[in-house]
Amino acid sequence: MNTVLKEENNDLVMYFEGRLDTASAPRVEADVAPLKESSGHDIILDCSKLEYISSAGLRIFLSILKSAKPKGDHVYIRGISNDIRAVFAMTGFVNLFEFK
Amino acid sequence: MDNQVKLDSHGETLLRQYHELRPTIEELAQEAYEQLHRAIKEQGIYVTAIEQRVKTEHSLAGKLELKGAKYKSIDDVTDLVGLRVITFYTDEVDKVAVIAKRIFDVDWQESVDKRKSHDLDSFGYNSLHYICRLKTGGMRFELQMRTALQHVWSTIEHDTGYKSNIVIPREYMRQFSRLAGMLELIDDEFSRLRMVLNDYRRQIQALVKNGHLDEVPLSADTFRSFLGLLPFDHLNRRIAAVNQAEIYPVSMMPFLPVLESFGMETLGDVQRFVDENSDDAHQLALSQLAITDIDILSSSAALQYLCLVYVLKNGGGRDGLKAIYDTINGESDSNGLLADLMLGQAKTLPFMQPNSNPTDNGK
Repeated sequence: MNTVLKEENNDLVMYFEGRLDTASAPRVEADVAPLKESSGHDIILDCSKLEYISSAGLRIFLSILKSAKPKGDHVYIRGISNDIRAVFAMTGFVNLFEFK
Repeated sequence: MDNQVKLDSHGETLLRQYHELRPTIEELAQEAYEQLHRAIKEQGIYVTAIEQRVKTEHSLAGKLELKGAKYKSIDDVTDLVGLRVITFYTDEVDKVAVIAKRIFDVDWQESVDKRKSHDLDSFGYNSLHYICRLKTGGMRFELQMRTALQHVWSTIEHDTGYKSNIVIPREYMRQFSRLAGMLELIDDEFSRLRMVLNDYRRQIQALVKNGHLDEVPLSADTFRSFLGLLPFDHLNRRIAAVNQAEIYPVSMMPFLPVLESFGMETLGDVQRFVDENSDDAHQLALSQLAITDIDILSSSAALQYLCLVYVLKNGGGRDGLKAIYDTINGESDSNGLLADLMLGQAKTLPFMQPNSNPTDNGK
């Protein structure tokens, strides 16, 4: 699992590549820390190359959303595959995020 | 200092005292503001603004030029520090006044309630002014408390120079007075309306609590009260049990327009919708979640599955499912993919089979 953080047009974009599962979650959790500390930037979670997301991954996405909302920042999920979209739908989290 | 202002020697003395005390005055303004802000917040009173200002040299000089002889020392000028609280409702002015009395020492000789000082047939500036001192002593300061509409009146009055030295013709003064009367009436009406709405809310909450759900119209307010009864909790726990999942709390209010689109008019309709569709919603949820190891669920999952099942059982098909997602997520083509996914899973379930008995759901 690889992540890359970039600033694009004043947005913070985190690129996820590979499988976001229980094994990779602790490292990704550390990787997303700058997103939670940021303020005044919308956040884009680019999932174009994300192959799989487990509950641990959902929790990471939810924690990013939880820290962004009180600051008035938006969290967008971009390039999500149908399989991963299905995970968001079946768990009832689909309407919490904004999808691009 | 403004060249236009001419002060006598007494005025100059007072102005010098003001300069010497300026740091103390600024500290007082900050301390009084913080104490008041904290106390209002602690009492849970939501106000439109709490303001503080230190009288400028220019403003003080103008005042001293006009009536400097009235003041023996700078301590006699009671508005060097001014605080202002602007509330939404008239009764909140009184609540703020109670707070002020508790946290400050009020100089009753100098304080004035302009709301009570008008003649019966006159209308104009309505505001409550207290001259206060911190409990720890020090200089006095002025605290103005007024509603937003009183503030509007005061600001416009100031802007138009209504109180200037120019004599205003009687007909214009009368127009001002009529507008002031109207604002006072609106202030009272807003307070009355709030009281009526609070009473209504309490009545509805009592009906919900006592289970008289058919008597309660479905609205944002009543649905919120209904959610207090945790109507989806049982189904959520049944669904979560399959993977021993954690239930992550989220708002269920986005589903209200979906329920309304189903034609539900009362909380009784919603309760029947839950009762009649829970088993099928449980089946649909299991068909998706049981083959995964997902152990976290949104607290809106039960309600989402109930809505999906309701649509499918009532022949809504793919378009009906997409309409649900369009309502809760915002319109998007990708909602069609979700609808396809749900439809594909649901097709094999008993409630979707041709020989299953459709129930009279919801209404």
